[in-house]
Amino acid sequence: MKSFAKSAITVVLDRLAEQTRTYVPMRDGVTSNFSPWSERRASDLALNSLNTTFSPKGIVFPQTERLYDFAVDGQRADISGTHAETGENILFGARACDRKAFAALDQVFLRRGYVDTNYKARRDGLTVIGRDCLQPGPFCFCDSMGVDPMGADGADVLLHETTEEFGWEPLTEKGQALTLRLNDLLTEKELIRPESAGCRLEVNVAGLPEKLRGMFDSPVWDELSTFCMNCGVCTYICPVCHCFDIQVMNNGSSGCRFRCWDSCMYPEYNLMAGGHNPREGKRDRFRNRFLHKLEFFQERYGSFGCSGCGRCLVTCPHSLNMVLVINRLGEVKVDAS
Amino acid sequence: MGDLTPEVQRIAGNLLSQGQVDLVLGWAKAPSNGQSVPACIRQAEQAGRLIFDQYCIHNLATGLLDHRDSSERIGIFVKGCDSRGIVRLAEDGQFPRERLYIVGICCPGMKDQAACDRAASGLFGETAGDSELAGKCRQCAHPNPVIYDELLGDQQPPFLNDVRFSDVQRIEAMGIGERGEFFSQIFSKCIRCYACRNICVACNCRQCIFDETRPQWVGRSTSAADNMMYHAFRAMHVAGRCVECGECERVCPAGLPLMLLNRKLIKDIDQLFGPYEAGLSLEEGARPPLSSYRVEDPDPFVR
Repeated sequence: MKSFAKSAITVVLDRLAEQTRTYVPMRDGVTSNFSPWSERRASDLALNSLNTTFSPKGIVFPQTERLYDFAVDGQRADISGTHAETGENILFGARACDRKAFAALDQVFLRRGYVDTNYKARRDGLTVIGRDCLQPGPFCFCDSMGVDPMGADGADVLLHETTEEFGWEPLTEKGQALTLRLNDLLTEKELIRPESAGCRLEVNVAGLPEKLRGMFDSPVWDELSTFCMNCGVCTYICPVCHCFDIQVMNNGSSGCRFRCWDSCMYPEYNLMAGGHNPREGKRDRFRNRFLHKLEFFQERYGSFGCSGCGRCLVTCPHSLNMVLVINRLGEVKVDAS
Repeated sequence: MGDLTPEVQRIAGNLLSQGQVDLVLGWAKAPSNGQSVPACIRQAEQAGRLIFDQYCIHNLATGLLDHRDSSERIGIFVKGCDSRGIVRLAEDGQFPRERLYIVGICCPGMKDQAACDRAASGLFGETAGDSELAGKCRQCAHPNPVIYDELLGDQQPPFLNDVRFSDVQRIEAMGIGERGEFFSQIFSKCIRCYACRNICVACNCRQCIFDETRPQWVGRSTSAADNMMYHAFRAMHVAGRCVECGECERVCPAGLPLMLLNRKLIKDIDQLFGPYEAGLSLEEGARPPLSSYRVEDPDPFVR
């Protein structure tokens, strides 16, 4: 298999970044995220960290995305172009959970009739270099959600990790193209691929979507949401959550229209024209989020709206999270009648 | 500190069985992972679930807002900072003291389970280790409850390892440009999840200005300007009312030092209108300095 030594990582990243912006896991103070590689920030490279605090979804679905500008002059209105980014990008070191999340976003933005042009432009321009996940962390549960931490799904190239080396396995045409660019840096080597230690945390989701169909009015939602504060942490750090709003920035005679992340936890999100709010209380909003991920998403797309990345387990201010909710939902007895 | 869990369970059990309260807010162990989490119990038989340990860091006073429209009587366990939160709610007219049975706990300082989890998760850059006192407890001047019906534990000394307001003084020493750059950098990382607002006991407005759409006071984009606007608005809204519980900073997923602005305002208000510290005692008719007017209020800015 083609491979490069881990010690040569900066040379490889430099080469990739020469032509294409290359997102790598980087420390950013107390947090981490996927940021464009530059030699200047080499000391922040966090290849040994498990996952990044913030998921890479912002690369294909930015938190704030300018759609078009407008200017008004008397009776005249000018719309000046769109801002959809069409450039090429590389995502280096995405683990299986985050790639699974991309697959979920693809379902939403590309596969069911309407194609979101901005998302498509970013997604088409992205080459994903995945990596093996040898040591899932204490809060990881991807394999319970149908993700193989060593799988190749959603990767254009898969990095096989050994102690000293990264094996380089191109899987798609995009992956082949990158291989050509790195050819002189890759050496042919026999690599023994270690096995993943697997996830220690498990949840049982068998039959859950079907069960949830009869649980809309269950009192368990009151119980589970008692200490939910309806902030948006879980939705914004989630790699799959994808709700957005379209807003206007108006500077008088000119401005722009932009898209920004929104959260189903916010009262404003559910507010309808005329002032009615169909999800008035926090129980209603909490229930909707989990039913969406565990029932509706599954019904519509055939997979869960959760990839088991574990981010919500460490960021919820009151320690509510997907695992706790799935476990509790599993315990509840539903009257078959 | 001895283990207060048996006392906590006994008191909660008695309050419920004697019908003194309808529900009790305290802490319990989460069944899934054994972490200390907020808990609400309504039956005396459930009192055995309650605990108190070094991870009971959450300020339960904010949870009272969910019950402000009911007439239920509530038993609540509070640490020093949480008790000031109760004064906050009572003073703001959000929750009547009469509906509460307050069990104060002299706080030995808490550890931050979430910070430990983040360190163990591999998801975060640099994080505090398990042995350390939680960040929010390291500048605590009032570990002992200021309002209670019953008190548990031994009186604790303040935890001021550093000189009070030393962090604020570092910012004050910066030039205006440097300071602007410093805060732009910090707030550029805000993801506008509003966790800091929602966990805040002083953010008790029924309709928050940041949720309003007509007019929309602050834009929804995560731009430097809108983020700065959000944080400046919020700091000014809680100025003179912030009880320094530090929950905003604890829950911030981006790890922003949100208490800096709050502490600067606490310091200024104390100097200009004080001596004043918010939520130290509940007095009939008392108002925070920025909610009242005195003829002798300083006004050097009027020319």
